[in-house]
Amino acid sequence: MSAILTIDRLFKQFPIAGSRQVVQAINDVSLSIEPGETLGLVGESGSGKTTVGRCIVGLLDPTSGDIRFRGTPISGRKDTRRALTGKIQFVFQEPAESLDPRMKIGVSISEPLIPFKLNRAMRERRTLEAIKLVRLDPALLEAYPSELSAGQQQRVGVARAMVTEPELVVLDEPTSALDPTARAEIIDLLQRIQSERNTAYLFISHDLSTVRFISHRVAVMYLGMIVEQGPADTVFNRPQHPYASGLLSSVLLPHPHLKIESSVSLKGEIPSPINLPKGCFLASRCPFVIERCRIEMPPRTDVGPGHSVHCFRHEDVARTVPASDTFTVFMAEAERILGRKPVVAPIKLAEPANPVDTRT
Amino acid sequence: MAQAPLPEAADASVAIEPLVRISNLRVVYPTGSSEPKEVLRGLDLSVMPGEIIGLVGESGAGKTTLARSILGVPPGPGRITEGEVIFGGRNILDLPEPELRKLRGRDLSVVVPNPRAELNPTIPVGKQIAAMARIHLGVGKEEAKRLALAMLKDVQIPDPVRRMDAYPHELSGGMAQRVVIAMALICDPAFVISDDATSGLDVTVQTQILALLSRLAADHGSAMLFITRDIGITAHFCDRVAVLYSGEILELALREQLFLEPAHPYTLMLLSAFSHSPKLRDAWSVPETGLRQDQEKGCRYSIRCPLAQPVCREVRPPFAQLKPGHFVRCHFPVTPS
Repeated sequence: MSAILTIDRLFKQFPIAGSRQVVQAINDVSLSIEPGETLGLVGESGSGKTTVGRCIVGLLDPTSGDIRFRGTPISGRKDTRRALTGKIQFVFQEPAESLDPRMKIGVSISEPLIPFKLNRAMRERRTLEAIKLVRLDPALLEAYPSELSAGQQQRVGVARAMVTEPELVVLDEPTSALDPTARAEIIDLLQRIQSERNTAYLFISHDLSTVRFISHRVAVMYLGMIVEQGPADTVFNRPQHPYASGLLSSVLLPHPHLKIESSVSLKGEIPSPINLPKGCFLASRCPFVIERCRIEMPPRTDVGPGHSVHCFRHEDVARTVPASDTFTVFMAEAERILGRKPVVAPIKLAEPANPVDTRT
Repeated sequence: MAQAPLPEAADASVAIEPLVRISNLRVVYPTGSSEPKEVLRGLDLSVMPGEIIGLVGESGAGKTTLARSILGVPPGPGRITEGEVIFGGRNILDLPEPELRKLRGRDLSVVVPNPRAELNPTIPVGKQIAAMARIHLGVGKEEAKRLALAMLKDVQIPDPVRRMDAYPHELSGGMAQRVVIAMALICDPAFVISDDATSGLDVTVQTQILALLSRLAADHGSAMLFITRDIGITAHFCDRVAVLYSGEILELALREQLFLEPAHPYTLMLLSAFSHSPKLRDAWSVPETGLRQDQEKGCRYSIRCPLAQPVCREVRPPFAQLKPGHFVRCHFPVTPS
């Protein structure tokens, strides 16, 4: 199958006013997304993941590199961009801020249809379809954003992206401002739409647990570089880059006995992207560091089918970290704990005045 | 995360006095209409010496209102209408402001999110930390400076001597959070409230800050109320966990009980949101398609509860003990089959 989106050697630098220095936001990123596939792009703040998304949708022009949609170069070209109107869409992090507070929901959802110059009946039909697609009551088309909960607002954000029937949607932290229940609803929704329409997603997030379940493949970014990329279960079960391993071990699953093991505990914080160090960017925080890491940048090494990593010591990392699928174990536990059949029968209980010490 | 053992539970014959005892705390916010909105609905909670108790809630549950009301200062136009917070034999809510000011910062302290807003941008951080010690412990300038430096080392700020003279804008978010923690702990408070203190941080930094907080709390023997919207944190970090919904605690249990044998349908719904299983989620939730409504009568959760019966919408369930240590506010708690 041919990829729907390919990015080849993308760089993006931002000039700093009053200085000759630049912020090196993206450093040599290459990736591709197939139709109907979800690529999870993970990393901490400042890793450049949002910048990648913005370059794809055309909100930013890359400094160098190639972005192709179905083989056609799109970056910095107004003519091809126009031909692609509605084919690539974007969902933002803050639903409240991305909706016009004075615009009714129905108007917001139909706005991306303006360039298509549809007649009114057609536009209304598409809008109605979109709001039904995200499982909201069509009566809400007449409501204002402030009347909706954050989860409902984000469903409107999804409806607005889907109304043009895009082939690729860039989702930039679409769930991180939401409560867990609203987050789960959005994720279900996105997966259902994908299976119905074969839409491809670039899912940008720092929430690894969500990425694990929604993504087919995953790319881990650090300081503007993809340090490890591969099939989601392979990368999550046996990461080969120290940063990926450290990042995974910081996932706190809601189960007191399940913890992702790692031999990497990351100290300190992500360095400034202004003066990037020579050699590997992780060298200052990495417990596996050797002299060579400080001198040269580790090249991209293929370690399995569709699985690549930038690390001189990836074999040692893979060896010291026990391969485990904690996420699958967690799901089985959830099934066991939450799969109980509720019995609606009152239980006689004694009521205490104030539950003081409850440990005895 | 440290799998902290429970604080030694003495045998049942010896009653342990709680360090902080919150009883029937009610806070209202004025609304446009005549009825003020009750944001805390008669909340009861006791914190034992040295324990870390987690308080989980979604946005709007009343988490920050609780954190601030414990110190006698509910946010914004909020007003405490009833209840008491007993600390050291006295009701904090009755204390005159000067007395209260002495307690806050010294015996009771808060770690807030968004640390940079909390720090004075025009004063070096070392001075700000030392000021806490000078005001509350009454030590001299040199001693305060020495304590501040020791505290910066404790919170593992790299190059602490140099950071003493740094201004808040020169620090990253993670470092500013460490400074705020240093300020909160320098006077060895008996009780620390952490109000979503790690929510703005990246996960690898969050892991470091959590490890730090739990180690410092153990070293200083402080008890902690750890308020968060991330239930995952509490599974690894807290001794007991309380689940807050719409101003009331719906379930309170030892960590293991809460996560392995959850009893309130709301807790099961929250946990199912992490299960990534649509089947489990459907079993425990009612889809929200239209505009939100509030349920004032009976159980506030009944409007979203898949198990709700007519009685739930009429009668507020009592906060009852299901098993030793495990409390639930529900007419029909879920029990292991």
